Amino acid sequence: MTAGLPRPPAGDAEATTHRLEVRGLTKTFVATPALQAFDLTIAPGEVHALLGENGSGKSTFIKILSGYHTPDPGGEVFVGGSPLPFGAPDSSYDLGCRFVHQDLGLVESLSVADNLSLTTGFPTRWGTVRGRELRRRVAAALEIVGLDIDPHQPVSALSPAMKTGVAVARALREDDGRAAGLLVLDEPTATLPVEEVRHLLEIVRTISARGIGVVYVTHHLDEVFELADRVSVLRDGQKVVTTSVRDIDHTTLVHHLIGRGLDEAHAASTALPVGEDVVLAVADLAAGPLRDIDLRVRAGEVVGIAGLTGSGRDTLLPAIFGAVARSRGTVRVGAGARPVAGPRDSIAAGLVYLPADRKLHGGVMSLTARENLTLPRLGDFWRAPLLRRRAESSQARDWFARLDVRPADAAERPLFSLSGGNQQKVLVAKWLRCSPTALLLDEPTQGVDIGAKAEIHRQLLAAVAAGAGAVVSSADIDEVVALSHRVLVLRAGRVVAELVGDEISVATITRESLGSGAATQARAA
Amino acid sequence: MSTRRGLRLGFDRFSGLYLWALFIVVFGIWTPDLFLTTGTLHSVASQQAVGAIVALAVLMPMAAGAYDLSVGATVNLATILVTVLQTEQGWGMWPAIGVTVAASLAVGVVNGFIVTRLKVNSFIATLGSASIILAVQSIVSGQSQPLPPASRAWTQLTQREVAGFQIIVLYLLVIAVLAWWALNHTPAGRYVHAVGGNVEAARLSGVRTRLWTFLMLVTSSTLCGVGGVLYASLSGPSLTFGGALLLPAFAAVFLGSTQLTPGRFNVWGTLIAMYALATGIKGLQLVTGVQWLADIFNGTAVITAVAFAVWRQGRVVTRGRDATRTVTTSEEPPPDPPDPDPALPEKSPEAAASVQ
Repeated sequence: MTAGLPRPPAGDAEATTHRLEVRGLTKTFVATPALQAFDLTIAPGEVHALLGENGSGKSTFIKILSGYHTPDPGGEVFVGGSPLPFGAPDSSYDLGCRFVHQDLGLVESLSVADNLSLTTGFPTRWGTVRGRELRRRVAAALEIVGLDIDPHQPVSALSPAMKTGVAVARALREDDGRAAGLLVLDEPTATLPVEEVRHLLEIVRTISARGIGVVYVTHHLDEVFELADRVSVLRDGQKVVTTSVRDIDHTTLVHHLIGRGLDEAHAASTALPVGEDVVLAVADLAAGPLRDIDLRVRAGEVVGIAGLTGSGRDTLLPAIFGAVARSRGTVRVGAGARPVAGPRDSIAAGLVYLPADRKLHGGVMSLTARENLTLPRLGDFWRAPLLRRRAESSQARDWFARLDVRPADAAERPLFSLSGGNQQKVLVAKWLRCSPTALLLDEPTQGVDIGAKAEIHRQLLAAVAAGAGAVVSSADIDEVVALSHRVLVLRAGRVVAELVGDEISVATITRESLGSGAATQARAA
Repeated sequence: MSTRRGLRLGFDRFSGLYLWALFIVVFGIWTPDLFLTTGTLHSVASQQAVGAIVALAVLMPMAAGAYDLSVGATVNLATILVTVLQTEQGWGMWPAIGVTVAASLAVGVVNGFIVTRLKVNSFIATLGSASIILAVQSIVSGQSQPLPPASRAWTQLTQREVAGFQIIVLYLLVIAVLAWWALNHTPAGRYVHAVGGNVEAARLSGVRTRLWTFLMLVTSSTLCGVGGVLYASLSGPSLTFGGALLLPAFAAVFLGSTQLTPGRFNVWGTLIAMYALATGIKGLQLVTGVQWLADIFNGTAVITAVAFAVWRQGRVVTRGRDATRTVTTSEEPPPDPPDPDPALPEKSPEAAASVQ
């Protein structure tokens, strides 16, 4: 046990000292309250899930805690029983608050040991790093999070969950006797592959077992039930509820989150009749790790694609669209007899593709939302010698109103200034505007809040109801289950299972992905 | 580009105009007899016209995310070529101009081929081609400065007066209006900005990214050809002036990207920056009489412009958050901080600048 770490409370007297106690915290931005009279207590060893859509005030709270924002007068925060001076990052650190953000801030090319030492400094004698002392400290830091890895390997060689673990270890490590008492994890699983989430949850459990209080911010409700002791929900800057996780169920939690019941997309999707016409036919496709892919999508049908990292799932849709080179195979769209190749060709034929990474491949962040919307088929507005700006703007307003893109004047803002969910809505609108025959959607709701997710699903199903076909590839198995008429499971570059109707469930998909499902077994026999 | 987006940014997007006005006021008070004359106005306007055309030549590929460092060499080659063809080969003025502009266009085709087909980074590709062009110029000129053509039509090409200005200023305006139209009011311009913003996202949206990069590099060299011809007519042939145009052109383009529609390379911002800097240099030269001021001024300007652009980018992101909050009503929750950090992955002008 490392000296700097607190032990779990021994008696009642200590148990009353909360790791964190927040009373009546309010923060107003230019007359708009971002956080109102917020109360929160976190006991030693408690994992407290903090939920809320984008803009609900979670980030504001975290930034007050870290000393970035100064709250309105009147609120109080106690960390480990001591009052927290506001607007002072150093005192927040001294009192034991530690933060791990979605962007971990690790230097990929450096070793685990170096990364762990960068913030607190290397132990040195006469300017030379003391190897043995460094190894001792690194081992101690890794032990806190229960990570058994070679500290000399570069961070880039680690799995995503392990990287998060290293970031957590770095945040919690001893530093001149200033012990960590509270850990804030801001959406640690947002970009983790599904099979890695379990590993991360294990790390969090190890930490809380040491008596550290954990504030766990997430969009994933499953993790709340699996991990948290208590849960608080923020909506529009106000705390809606704080409750023990045992006393709440999934549906109630969703209701608290968005203030209304969430339409279950699945019912809507399976109720849609699938047409007869094939809108997308992929034959004998090979690209990257993928082999022998055959896929036919009919009008009105949603085909889900599931598969773990490394299954080739992330290559499938780009290969069908022609964004990456195919080594074999043909793709035909609609009634067109001619195979399509390459993005321009595909788009012209009515096949559109929403990339998984909206910053790198999806949007042109420096252009306005309107310019992103109209980038494909911009010619519609060209009446020589000028682009008809008014027609373009009015169409942009219509689309953004239809998808509830916020803020109201989003059309003329550069895309980078919108929140992630709204950026994604803009990019979905961009392709729906082209009235596609077939849609390829890669991680359509990654890093998007639950309201935006529901809106994107609604729009997708509306397009499908109108006669389009869709292929949805997602690491979020719930999403695949909710949307799909049919699910293809990929493993090692091949389709290992095709599930329809009642076979479609999270359990079945997970089993097939791991290679222990019925279809896989049958194939082996 | 919308004006609404910019208004939120306060008046920093007009800072170039204010700077320009400040120069005029300061030097107007300091040395009114020399500075506040129509002669100064006319001479600054026409002396900078070729520089401004070269700046527009830099701007076009820059909007598509490609550097053209060969502009100085191309302008110089065009000047020598159009002169040699007339005085040493005895060609007529128009055939000489036609061949010179065509040769400059060919330079752009080669640049475009190297960048889009051989996939050499544009910075390196045009740095290399500039050196080759310089060698070609030496071959054409035989290392000695050719005599200027004697015909009156040749000098009248740029020096004829229109409303007190030499007609070259009018040429610049025509080119600027065409460039502005192409970049801001045609699908082509939108595609070019999309390629400059995020080439992969543009490609996946069906934009012909290589075609637009290629065409912008060709446009750049062709404009340089025109600029070189005009320079020869205005000032006579010179073996070395081209190199001195490179830095002012980039300074104007980067400074211009902080003006009018901040964050986007644009035509009028570039011209404002060009003339604001030129006015400052002219004023200082009148006051002090030293020649090296221009070099200091342009060097400072290009660094300041890029530093300013980076700083402004950070501010737009943070101010964007607060602005979002002010417009939202109670039933509309204010969006979370915008997704990206100030360091954007795309080639915004700031990012493009930091490449160096």
